[in-house]
Amino acid sequence: MNIPDVAEALSLDLVCCGDKSREATSVISGDLMSFIIGKAISGSIWITVQNHLNVAAVAVLKEIPMIIVASGRPVMADLKTRCDMENIALAISEESSFTLCSRLYDLGFRG
Amino acid sequence: MVSDVYVEEYHIDGGDFINVGTASTKLKRSLEMMGIPSSLTRRASIVAYEAEMNLVIHAGGGTICCLISPEKIQIIAEDNGPGIPDIELAMQEGYSTASDAIRELGFGAGMGLSNIKRNTDTLDIISEVGKGTRVQAVILVKSMAGGREIGRGN
Repeated sequence: MNIPDVAEALSLDLVCCGDKSREATSVISGDLMSFIIGKAISGSIWITVQNHLNVAAVAVLKEIPMIIVASGRPVMADLKTRCDMENIALAISEESSFTLCSRLYDLGFRG
Repeated sequence: MVSDVYVEEYHIDGGDFINVGTASTKLKRSLEMMGIPSSLTRRASIVAYEAEMNLVIHAGGGTICCLISPEKIQIIAEDNGPGIPDIELAMQEGYSTASDAIRELGFGAGMGLSNIKRNTDTLDIISEVGKGTRVQAVILVKSMAGGREIGRGN
């Protein structure tokens, strides 16, 4: 499923569009940087409540095409700038990580 | 004689959570430009990132030196920080001495050194309390026998 379709299906507020042609193939949820570095698969959608610049650095390392900041957490300006620069989609949602995961599961995604 | 080793060195400031990740991102770009296979590029940049984090969180800064040759990628992180009293304990996943404030940012999960180990072919850590730490990680580009890329994932 490509990024715009994911954003539309989950009614996400897309702050950075990222690479619209890139497919998201899996989902990971977590707030520990080293956990994501250790476990994320390239192409995953990353759901987190972390909203600082380093989220983008980790996404670059793990070739994550889309970050969803959950639970209505505000997105820091420098995170938005970096995601724009790196062509990573950045979305915000009022829903919790748990709810977002369950909705992505219903769309056919698996972790 | 011309050396076939390409060197990149980065200075990392202690406590600089804004720019952390810059060195590993630059290294990733350099390796991609050199045509290093993506699996190796990913492993090297993960090693560099975790080393950067350790310098920022624990060591009060330091340097990361990357030596890239056709045979291997060496990443050497050095600091003059407090040192690691028990390296074996520090290598255990989940063990961390990071403060609560750092943990709230998602760092200090106690997975840094184990992530480094998982992504390297050889890892040497030398540390002296009160003097500093040297972490030397090597990722082999080609096996010595057949020139085959080491196909290790992460």
